[in-house]
Amino acid sequence: MSKQLLIDAIHGRTTPKAPWFPYAGVNSAFNIKEKAEDYLRDPRLIAKGVAQTAKRYRADGFPLLFDLSVEANAVGCELRWWADNVPSVVTHPCSKMQTPRELGLKVPTQESGRWPVVLEAGRLAKPELDAQDCVLVGLYCGPLTLASHLAGVRIFTDTYKNKAFAHEVLAFADEVGAASAKFYADLGCEVIGIVDPVASQVKSETFAEFVAPYAQKGIEVIHKAGATSIFLICGDCTKVMENVCTIGTHGFAIDEQLNLGFVRDMALKHGVGFAGNLKLTMALSLGLISPREDTLVSLAAGGTRGFVLAAGCDLPYDVPAESIDQVMEARDWYYENYTPYPDAK
Amino acid sequence: MPDIEELLKAMHDEVVSFNEEGVREATAAFNAAEYDPLRGILDGLAAGMNTVGRLFKDQEYFVPEVLLCAEAMNAGVELLKPRMRGAEVKSEGTVVLGTVQGDVHDIGKNLVKMMLEVGGFTVHDLGANVPHERFVEEVLRTDADLVGISAMMTTTMMGMKTVIPMIKAGKPGVGVLVGGAPVTHQIAAMFKADGYTQSAADIVAEAKRVMAATRRAAPACCCQR
Repeated sequence: MSKQLLIDAIHGRTTPKAPWFPYAGVNSAFNIKEKAEDYLRDPRLIAKGVAQTAKRYRADGFPLLFDLSVEANAVGCELRWWADNVPSVVTHPCSKMQTPRELGLKVPTQESGRWPVVLEAGRLAKPELDAQDCVLVGLYCGPLTLASHLAGVRIFTDTYKNKAFAHEVLAFADEVGAASAKFYADLGCEVIGIVDPVASQVKSETFAEFVAPYAQKGIEVIHKAGATSIFLICGDCTKVMENVCTIGTHGFAIDEQLNLGFVRDMALKHGVGFAGNLKLTMALSLGLISPREDTLVSLAAGGTRGFVLAAGCDLPYDVPAESIDQVMEARDWYYENYTPYPDAK
Repeated sequence: MPDIEELLKAMHDEVVSFNEEGVREATAAFNAAEYDPLRGILDGLAAGMNTVGRLFKDQEYFVPEVLLCAEAMNAGVELLKPRMRGAEVKSEGTVVLGTVQGDVHDIGKNLVKMMLEVGGFTVHDLGANVPHERFVEEVLRTDADLVGISAMMTTTMMGMKTVIPMIKAGKPGVGVLVGGAPVTHQIAAMFKADGYTQSAADIVAEAKRVMAATRRAAPACCCQR
């Protein structure tokens, strides 16, 4: 396991081999035989799950949580909890077109919502991961996804019909994101990620106006802290790939819906790192495709310049560890049997 | 009197341009000329949404644009509705619709609902984050022909594997359609769904195909022999 490998790759540098970054959020709860709800409410369980699963998966980087409800809950959205998943956000305070300012919503402190649990878990897990030479990665909810938690689905039409309102909600989301980035930076996370899955659901112009500008405060905090930044997006984001490459983070991550060859070329053109895109559903969860073959295809397509081998998105709760074993075996086999790309020298 | 084809085209075009006011004006002119309101819906407004569906599939339009087009279409439907009272409109079938348990995302499901309604189906929308048992209860209550289940996340998609057999045990012969970002043809087949579309744009055709297939497969009742 190697922290530097992951950090170098996210920065777009050539690495002797592609680092491995499994996004195991509630899958870590499954690995220690805990329900997701119990796990996410108990810092000791989170720390135990993170440390044990990172070790089992021989990860170069590992997320403390993959849970986009933390920020929404910290500013007042209510949650519904599940035994096998992260909580769902079920209330949207700005859905009647009241701005966060009008509602008196406050940027979270370390005492808000679930942050005390999250940060305590981080303090407990950090030395364990340091001992494994594995990066503890902080992930927080990106601006458009958080805005959709705050205002509900109307935020999408408000990007046309009520631009001033949409800008206000997104500006607040940016401040909330910056606060999260600061909490993770203070925790010592060497890599901090902005996770904005719904940002793939808008066109390039909308991304440029309503997503990119409102990721900047968080990115600034991460970079000022000397940490490495990565932007994670889900779904078919082909039409916003240029936006993603130029958002200002050191690297980005995409899921199984994109062609890795196309993504690699875009990342190389812009000199940023890229992470992906093992087939979470078809291979890791359902085994319709061999995880071993999928890993080999990804490694061959990704190369060793700026490439991070990663699951396409958060691993579902009950992804069998045997699927991940196959990924690791294939990665070992690949680097034993294939010479690096010429540009890796 | 304005030509009906011109007015239908205007209604279509204003829906595609997500111009709510333009749709109202064109529909008001259509009403004033006392043309058949059903034709206005099917050949004007719904035809516009079909074009929107194609633009969405081709990634010319994204979620904001599609939602705005739907709002524009609804503005026109509201003007035509009062003239529809008493008109005989045969439903294509009854569909129970919802997003699977644990998943609060309903944009895709709402687009599917809109397309089905435009396509002549009667839709019972259970909303998002629907407990498995609610699907079964609603299918039995409404004697539905079809169930549409949506999931946006891989994590929640796994719930489809549980709920589909529950629905089929509750009402054998009901057709189940699945969709959502992580779902594929292969996964739909693996979960034993009867239908799948990658895009909301194709849902009406797929729903009709599944309806026909499940009707053919259903054993004939003694009174039909």
